[in-house]
Parts: sequence; structure tokens; C-alpha cells
Amino acid sequence: MELRSRIRELFQKGEIGSLIGYGRGTLPLSARPIFITEGGVDQLIFDITCGVNLAKYLLRKKPIAGQKVGIICKGCDGRAIIQYLTEGQLNREDVYIIGISCPGMIDPNRVREKVRGRVVTNYQMNGEEITLSGDGFQLTLPREDLLSRSCLRCRYPSPPIYDTFIGSPKDRVEIQDEYRSVAEIESLPAAERWNYFQSEFGRCIRCYACRNSCPFCYCDVCFVDQTNPQWFGKGVELTDTIIFHLVRALHTAGRCVDCGSCERACPMGIKLTLLSKRMEREVRERFDYIPGLSVEETPPMAAYREDDPQEFIQ
Amino acid sequence: MRKLLKKDLPRLIEWLKTSYLLYGPTEYGFAPIADHTPELITPIRPPKGIFFPQYQVLFRYDGKVPKSKGIGLFGVRPCDAKGLLILNRIFTQGPYRDNYWQDQYQSGIIIGIGCNQPQPTCFCHWFGIGPFGKEGCDLFLTDIGDGFLIEAVSKKGEDLISSFDPLLPPTDQDLKRRDEIVARAEAQLKDGIDPKLIKERLDNLWESPIWGELAERCLSCALCTYLCPTCHCFDIQDEEKARVRIWDSCLFPLFTQEASGHNPRPEIRDRLRQRIMHKFNYLYLQYKEAGCVGCGRCVIFCPVNLDLRELMRRILDEG
Amino acid sequence: MWQPKIIAFLCNWCSYAGADLAGVSRIQYPPTIRVVRVPCSGRINPIFILKSLQSGYDGVLVSGCHPGDCHYLTGNYYARRKFALLKALLEFIGIEPGRVQFSWVSAGEGEKFAQVVERVTEDIRRLGPARYLIKDHGAEVED
Repeated sequence: MELRSRIRELFQKGEIGSLIGYGRGTLPLSARPIFITEGGVDQLIFDITCGVNLAKYLLRKKPIAGQKVGIICKGCDGRAIIQYLTEGQLNREDVYIIGISCPGMIDPNRVREKVRGRVVTNYQMNGEEITLSGDGFQLTLPREDLLSRSCLRCRYPSPPIYDTFIGSPKDRVEIQDEYRSVAEIESLPAAERWNYFQSEFGRCIRCYACRNSCPFCYCDVCFVDQTNPQWFGKGVELTDTIIFHLVRALHTAGRCVDCGSCERACPMGIKLTLLSKRMEREVRERFDYIPGLSVEETPPMAAYREDDPQEFIQ
Repeated sequence: MRKLLKKDLPRLIEWLKTSYLLYGPTEYGFAPIADHTPELITPIRPPKGIFFPQYQVLFRYDGKVPKSKGIGLFGVRPCDAKGLLILNRIFTQGPYRDNYWQDQYQSGIIIGIGCNQPQPTCFCHWFGIGPFGKEGCDLFLTDIGDGFLIEAVSKKGEDLISSFDPLLPPTDQDLKRRDEIVARAEAQLKDGIDPKLIKERLDNLWESPIWGELAERCLSCALCTYLCPTCHCFDIQDEEKARVRIWDSCLFPLFTQEASGHNPRPEIRDRLRQRIMHKFNYLYLQYKEAGCVGCGRCVIFCPVNLDLRELMRRILDEG
Repeated sequence: MWQPKIIAFLCNWCSYAGADLAGVSRIQYPPTIRVVRVPCSGRINPIFILKSLQSGYDGVLVSGCHPGDCHYLTGNYYARRKFALLKALLEFIGIEPGRVQFSWVSAGEGEKFAQVVERVTEDIRRLGPARYLIKDHGAEVED
């Protein structure tokens, strides 16, 4: 396997001292983040189950004895790292970015929705189709039905910056209707939009799996955890829940790289990326900025232009 | 033991609804049954929140009282029913009673259903429950194909079901079929672990490197806690119009944050250890039973695949 | 007639002085606003606005210095970006566009301040009492 031999080589040459990558999980169709040194290279895998955004673990892992931390980077992990660099969260020289082209990751919530309680023990990919099989059943579905919604509209399968690349980098993908999910909601009348979000966020259990798996929710104390003052209720009253998600969308606006970690982590299958995607479009149209592409640009919410549009201000 | 034909299920439900506010399983959790016959699936959320709401108004400053009514839970899996029983013990035994829980739980009724098809993530048999464990139920249903065998487990269940007419006596064949189903389901749950052993091993693992290793990956969210049928930690807060009780989780840093700014469990490692120790050591010490029912929800939903079963096996190896 | 309750966040250097000028000039405007004086429109965290809606205000008015006039030179430029996103997000989830409004009012524009309050009040009166984000503390209650 090219992945393992290349990583072993990096360890042997002393390019990296430790590595953040993916290993096999205990459930079918699951992978888990692993943290290894040279001895653990044989645990490494990379396939369509490796959805967790690893960039966040970089903020916890510091280089040991001057040796860089290696990290396996799909497009979204790489973009998150670029965003960290613009936000001053990382030193570029501490990290060794190992690029890899992303085939698109499956969303466990969407798999569950499709198999309805049956147990998948194996899967196979044939071009645009994925076959799931288990005890007494086989289900062949188009890729679009199982992949993370974020992956289906992803334009950057490979990280924009890397120190080495496994395989060859994929070009930018042209996606026509990147904001289709947002536009669908926008086509509804206001009252129906409210009803829709009420039913989505009404399911939220405030477990914060979305926040804690988000590469950009790295504040030491999140605004919902502040106690002096405590801004909002911590229970599941609809208004508190919705405001939590609104403010999270605002705080990640202009930073979110649409990796879809939040949506995949949500046990209740809430379509969390609707809000972040809406913000992404606004930032792009208004401030002409796409997060995670360039280290030089200032993040949009830490910048301004004198002629920013202000049609909404009297 | 009586038999209910499948076509009579809607009648049973309608009949139960005359005495109880009846909740049944939906994809996401237990919800009031309106005009439908619930599909007997295992919901993502366990039923604990029905009796112990995630956001509960304890009292309002204007003196108005939140509404409540006797609740019936229909289609509860053995693990979840046992989970409620564990919570009941925690909330009502010992020197202090939790009236909010007690009023709700004791006025309610729990109708369980056996699991003909346990999942690979199920490990209820570790805790002596099994796919047809009846503990914690008032009535227990077994799906035998053309109908359900109904068994009264408690006096409350017996009183209730004895006045429902459309039940038949089960035939020998029905009983035989049930035995087959039970045997087949139980055979699927293999390789148990004795919680007593885990407890003993944990006594020596306070300083183990296991915790640090797990914490590397753990996101410190409360997904596992909030989907757990037995986690019961809460916080009480005064809001603008009411004093409320809300769920809290030992995995949040704020859980132990003191007013001085000091936090006795500052690292994920400390908090993760607390969660495991509480469930498998402290609760076992108190009640001779672990605070886990093996429902597998934390295993299925953990975004970073922290598998509790794997951890337990490791604990047995290391201790 | 039902009077809306509106919270107005006014920057200390321009809009608050503008409101003051409206007062000393004895310009009449509806008594619907409750003023919160902030040092700069850049100080207004979107959380303040959401908290106001949750606390039961029927509307929110945010006002600061005209672009280029900020006492701190750039505060209102940053604020403008934040407000643009908040406004888009609120409308996206179905909150009526008129509930949260923004304006630039300078210290000399007492007249304009009165007009803004009048217009905002009129808009919110038309929308009726706020419904969506109010916290009800376990609504179903009996006496």
C-alpha cells in the first residue's frame, strides 16, 4: 500500500516524528483518528470512511523534540490548516502536510437512513455506485445517496498546500449548484422556512458533537459555556438551541471550509451545513472571500473595505 | 401469558391511550402516539428523557405549574427498560428522593418488547439483561410473527391487561415459536464480560495510561452521555421566569469548574476517566450493578469511534 | 393601539448624540425605543441582538456613525460586516426582515434619528408582536 510505505519512509528520513492519520474503526464503515509513531504505520488506512477532520487534533499535538507532526490531509483538512495559519493558530514549520486526494466521504447518518436497522458488514465501490452488503441483504446505491452532502458539492478534493502528496493531486472540481440546498430553502416562504428550521433544530440535544468536531470551534470557552454573563439557556428550549446554532454559524462564517464534520457527527441527523453554507455564500458574494485557499489573505471578519455594500443600512 | 393478534395492535394502543399519555418509538426518540400504530424500532434517543426531561421547569416564579399526566411508554427495549430502573434507583433510593422523577416514573407504565434481532453493537448480556430481559417493564411483548405474546411482569401490568378483552390464550405452538425466537436471539450475543471483574480492575487503573490514550481522540462532547439510558447528571439554573433542571455531562469542562476558576478535572483525560469510573466502578460499589445497560448507542454514534466494548476488554487485559 | 417594544443600541459618539439632539430640539417621535448606549457600533456583538429578541423585544434598532466618521476610525466598518451576516442569517431561518434594523445617524442628525425611529416603529407595528425566538420557559402551564 503506497500510503504506508510512503509514511514509513517519512519516519525513516526523520521528516516527521509523529503522525495524525486514520485507522480502522470497530464498526463496519467506520474509521478513527489515530496518533502514531513509526511502529504504528501498519494501522494506517485511507478510504471513504475517513470523514473526521483531523486538523483539529493539530491544535492539541505539539512537535516533540523538534520533530514535525505529520498529518494526512484531504482537501478540507488542508484548507482548515490554511485557515489556522491565517488565524495564527499554527506554525507552518511544526507541521508536515501529507496531501491525499479525497474520493468523498460517506455520511453515517445517510447510511443509517438507507439501511434502516440492517447491519452493513462490507461495502464495495464501483465507479459511481456503492454496494453495501450484510447478513442477507445487498443494497446498491448511487454514490450521491450515501456521501456527505458537503462532499457532493466539494470543489477542492486535494489540499491547496502540502509537503508531499500521496498519489497525484486532483484538480479543482467545477460544481455548478454548490448552493442548491440553500437555494431550496430560500425558495420557501418565510413562515415555512421557520417551520423547517424549527423541526430540524428541535431535534438538537445540545451534545455539542458538531461544535467539538468542528475544526474552527477551538475557543477555550465557547460563548454558550460562558457564565459571566451566561448569555443563553443551556437546555433544549427551541430558542436557546436555535440561537446556539445561529451564533456558531456566525462565528465560523468566513472560516468554515464545509468539511461536513458537524453534520456527520450529529446523532440526530440535523442538516447543520445549511446555515454555514448560507454564510459561506454571503461571505463570497459580499466580501469576495473563500476560506482556506490562501495563507496571505486576511480572514474577512477581521478585515473591511470602505466600500463594502451597505444596502441594508438606513 | 396471553396472545394479541397483530391486527388487534391498534386496538390495544387506543385502549392504552384512554388511561395514559402514550409514547411510542420514532426514529429519533419516544414521542406521543397520535393516530398511528408505532413502528417498533429502537430510537436514537433512549426513553429516559420522558421521565427526566433534558429541560425541566421545576417551578415558575409566577406560581403556575407545568402540566403533567401519567405517561405510558410503548415498545421499550429491555436495555432501555433496565436503564429506567437504574435511574429510578438512583433518584429514589437512599436518604434523598427526587420527587420530580418519582411522580413521573411511578405514575407511568412501561410496555417492553423483546429483541428478535439483536444488533452487533448490542452487549446487554454483559449486564445480565439479554434480548428478552423483562426487568423494569410492567408488560412485556414478544413478537412471534402473527402476533405478540403479552406477559404481565408487574402487578400494575397485570391489573391493566386483565381488563383488555381481545386477548387469546397462546397455543402450544405459539410458546414453542417463542422459545425458538428467544434461543436464536440469545445465541447471537456472545463473549460476555463480567461487570464485577471490570469493577475490580478499575480499582487499580486510576493512574493508567489508558485514559490519556483515549483522550487523544475524544472530542469531549456529550453525545455518549446524552444518548446514554443511564447517565443522569444535571444542573439547576435560575432563568428569567423559572427554575429549571437541565442535563449536564461530566465530559464538559464546565461540569466541575469552580467559581474560583479552579477546575479539578481540567483535561479530557480526567473527565473521560470520571465517566468510566462512575459507570463501572462507583455505581457498582453502591448497587452491585454497573451503570451501563449495553444498548450500544455510544458505540454506534461516537464521531471518533471510541468503542466502549473495546475499552472494557482493554481494562480486563490491563488491570 | 399596541405599542411595540424596541431596543436601540446607539453608539456613544454619533447616534446617541443624534438622539440627544432630537430630544433637545423637541422633535416628536414614538416612545417605543429603549436606548442602550454603547461605545461604538463595533462593540455590538450579534449576541446582544439575539438576546434581545429572546428576551421578548419586538424589534431591534442598531445605529452608529456614518462610514468614515467612526470615533475609533474603523469600528463601524467591522460592525457592518457582522451585521450583514447576521441579517442574512436571520432572514434565512424565517425571521421577518423588519425585526432587526440598522442605521447610520450622526450627532447632527436629530431629524434623521426621529425619522428612523418612526420608520422602524411603523415597520414593527405592521409585523405585530415578536413570536419566533422568545423564550417561554416550559410554555404549557396551568394555574
